[in-house]
Amino acid sequence: MEYTVGSIAPIFLAPVIAFVINAIFGRKLPRQGDWLATLSIFISFIFSARIFGDFVFGKFASDFFVHKVFTWFDLSYGTQIWKVDMGIYIDNMASIMLLMVSGVAFLIHLFSTWYMDHDEKHGRFFVFLPLFTSAMLGLVLSDNLFSMFIFWEIMGFCSYSLIGIYVKKEKAGDASLKAFMTTRVGDVFLLLGIVAIWMLLGSVAYVDIYAAIAEGKFAGHSVLGISFATFAALCIFLGGMGKSAQFPLHVWLPDAMMGPTPGSALIHAATMVTAGVWVSLRMYPLMVLGDITWFIAVIGAITAFGAATIATVQTDIKAVLAYSTLSQLGYMMIGVGVGSYNAAFMHVITHAMFKACLFLAAGSVIHTIHEQQMPKMGGLRKYLPYTHFAMMCCTLAIAGIPFFSGFVSKDRILGDALYYGFMAGQNPLLAIVPILGFAGAGLTAFYMFRMMFLTFYGENRMHHDDHGHGHGHQDSHGHESHGHDIHHEHLDARQNVPLLILSVFTLGFWFAGNLTGQNFGKVFGEKNEWFKILVEAPKVEKFINSPREEFGKTDTAADKNLPKAVYDYHSDSQTGYAGPNPDTHKIHSAHTIGAIASIIIAFSGVFLAFLMYIKGSIKPWAPKFPELTKVLQNKYGFDELYIDVIIKKGLLGFNRFLSWFDMGVYDRFAVDGWAAVNRVIFKASKWFDNVVVDAIGVDGTGVAVNLFNLVLRIVQSGKIQFYFIMLIMVLASYIWTLNI
Amino acid sequence: MMSLASYLIISLILFIVGLVVMIARKNIVAILLGIELILNAAALNFVAYSRYVTNNLDGHIFSLFIIVVAAAEAAVGLAIVIRFFQIKETIHIDEATQLRN
Amino acid sequence: MFLQLLFLSSAVLTVGCAIGVLATKNIMHSCIFLLGTLIGVAGLYATLGADFVAVTQIMVYMGGVVILMLFAVMLTGGKDFISKAQNLLGLPASMGNKWTYAIGLLVGLVFLGTNVNLMLNITKTANVKEISNDFPSTVSQLGHLLVKDHVLAFEISSVLLLGALVGAAIIARPRKQQ
Repeated sequence: MEYTVGSIAPIFLAPVIAFVINAIFGRKLPRQGDWLATLSIFISFIFSARIFGDFVFGKFASDFFVHKVFTWFDLSYGTQIWKVDMGIYIDNMASIMLLMVSGVAFLIHLFSTWYMDHDEKHGRFFVFLPLFTSAMLGLVLSDNLFSMFIFWEIMGFCSYSLIGIYVKKEKAGDASLKAFMTTRVGDVFLLLGIVAIWMLLGSVAYVDIYAAIAEGKFAGHSVLGISFATFAALCIFLGGMGKSAQFPLHVWLPDAMMGPTPGSALIHAATMVTAGVWVSLRMYPLMVLGDITWFIAVIGAITAFGAATIATVQTDIKAVLAYSTLSQLGYMMIGVGVGSYNAAFMHVITHAMFKACLFLAAGSVIHTIHEQQMPKMGGLRKYLPYTHFAMMCCTLAIAGIPFFSGFVSKDRILGDALYYGFMAGQNPLLAIVPILGFAGAGLTAFYMFRMMFLTFYGENRMHHDDHGHGHGHQDSHGHESHGHDIHHEHLDARQNVPLLILSVFTLGFWFAGNLTGQNFGKVFGEKNEWFKILVEAPKVEKFINSPREEFGKTDTAADKNLPKAVYDYHSDSQTGYAGPNPDTHKIHSAHTIGAIASIIIAFSGVFLAFLMYIKGSIKPWAPKFPELTKVLQNKYGFDELYIDVIIKKGLLGFNRFLSWFDMGVYDRFAVDGWAAVNRVIFKASKWFDNVVVDAIGVDGTGVAVNLFNLVLRIVQSGKIQFYFIMLIMVLASYIWTLNI
Repeated sequence: MMSLASYLIISLILFIVGLVVMIARKNIVAILLGIELILNAAALNFVAYSRYVTNNLDGHIFSLFIIVVAAAEAAVGLAIVIRFFQIKETIHIDEATQLRN
Repeated sequence: MFLQLLFLSSAVLTVGCAIGVLATKNIMHSCIFLLGTLIGVAGLYATLGADFVAVTQIMVYMGGVVILMLFAVMLTGGKDFISKAQNLLGLPASMGNKWTYAIGLLVGLVFLGTNVNLMLNITKTANVKEISNDFPSTVSQLGHLLVKDHVLAFEISSVLLLGALVGAAIIARPRKQQ
């Protein structure tokens, strides 16, 4: 296979070109250029599919491919190397990710052409959508942290624009600002981490970092009293926390649904939030070296459980989905933290599929009935059969029902978490990770089916109240509501086909089976799952003595005789577990226990939802626990906490402290005290004035000044050139004295 | 003919001429012209020394910075001239005596 | 040979035009003579092997500064101070009276002395090498020097330029008459 930059660059460049054309000429193009954006994403999908085919189906010789494109800048001097090369790094994981991002983004674009039709922001939406996608594709393609950071920030900007695309709505503006500022907190740390690594290694390429880890170059350095690796890993993970909306920085993601629903789908599923998980996966060896994986696991567990509890009381259909995204991101982070490397990545992929589908289905519902509040829906199954089918598939997937994709990935994360928490000999407190994880899984099944039942089942509640349009309607369309006359949905290519395609990929066997053509019969066999074979934590030893420049010289790594891991069956790569103390037997038993437990938990959650919302034999628990419900509806009060504590008490308090310091300390002691001192001095100096100064000083000085004035009057001519001459003469005499 | 001394003499002549222009001319723009001459003399000196004595490029860097500073100085100086002309309707240097007394 | 010719013509142009700047009555002509001086200095740079500095000289000075000067002259009229009065030397009174010339001469002599002295010292003590006449391009080396050794001065000069331009814009802004 010949791989050149030209065969990879279109993946990234086609959406960029579409962005440029749409940004400049968008208004003049027919349909404001949405076809152009969709076409560009389709082009990158084609190219991604080629790479995916070559990597996954084993035609490519190596499991990674690096191409140095150009040197951006080189500040090295002497022996110290400080340079940044831009390049492309593709391994099996990146090839899968590219296909997922471009494919999901293509379907979202296709859906958006229907959803945003006749919307006033139609053109602007299709300016930012391809840029967003291209930034994510570039992030996946980039081979170093600097270019990754550039794309990271482009995505931050695009999410800001997409969330606040309805600029006239104050809430949308606030939400976009919140998203931007909250992720900025993480980005600062990410940049700090990148620069720290750059300072130490002189390069931020992934392969150089892996090689440095393998060679132990991080050892013996420390920052602020903690080891360098811990510092760098923590900084990078904090950046990932901001982008992936992990627990303390999660507040922006639920508000990000202010934008149009396909935009939310892109943010929540394919692009933005997976970037944080992506960088954590890429920097996984550093996280292990810095020994912060337990921290990642705990943060993920808190996010997974906390967001799931909040989602159980939301009434807005998009809010439920937003919190479920948070919760699923928590599972991905658990996966990263407990060493379940490929399961975490698999969850990125499966989650992207079903969450994109869920959001698009929600968009379909919202666009059809112009209502976002679930209590005002109900019984939509009859009117929206295709949407219902797609959403049901996705709900089954996210709830972790067997044979669906969510079960495959989440169950493996939970199994590894179980092993990590109870059997790996870790700190007993870390048992909180699997406990919260399983609890969150049950809640996930419950709230997702609650959403399904409230939306699509039961009787239609739209007729009963005068559809209070003012407060619930957050997706502005400019149409008037016509809830009474919903027509039956017809199969629309742009509306339903993306949903149906995505719902096909919610089936588990795509991910669990073996698509690479070997032993296809053993679908559930442990050994031949293609994900487990293809995706494994980077083995840093492989990168020693393979400096990046050597990869850059050749267009393809095929003739480099690199270790070929695609079908290399290592004993430890069969389980996919990359965490501490791998014990294959115990891991298997943990997986078995975890699978059984998660099936039981998922079905009990579904059953509970069924009893509550369909059969009605159990009353919803919300009225029974009003305080708890209120806490959950307030989202644990994080928004208020940030506003009250950090902004009001923190920043304003600091201001108040400064002003108090000014008034109380400085004014009282310094200024007033100085005045008291002055008064004493004043009395003394009064006497001194009268006697010494007036009599001797003033009169005497007057005479002297008068004399001196005679001279000065000549010099002070007011003519600039005369001053200049004086200056020159002084200077000349100075030089003269120097030399003679 | 081409030696360090010849360049130094040229730059010396430039310098003296610039000095005399600065001192003798009463037009503010002419004074700025004199400043430019002096700066050029200095820059020429730097480049000449860097070729004949130090044999590296630091003198070039200095003369580049001198050019930059001269550009900045010309911009600000001419802005002041124009402002002065708006107020006084002349650019005679001897009118610029507001700071006196 | 070409180098010698270039040096000679540049030197003559430089010195002649510099004296022209000093001696013309018309400020416009002074500016034009300054242009000639700057061309001459650029030629001298070229004979010194300073290709980048020479080009910068031509671009910045002749393209920027002199044009700016000409604009300033045109904006300020340039007529009202050309008087018929003459001073001792038969030159216009606007070119200074006898005192300015006397002091200028004195200062000039002082400077001449000091400079000749300095020059002699340096040419005596400095290790003046015989230098071949092939001039390698200095551009890439200058670029490296600018962003490595002199990067701070480089950045400061950029800030200086920005400040100067903003300041110039603010100073020259038309204001309402009080």
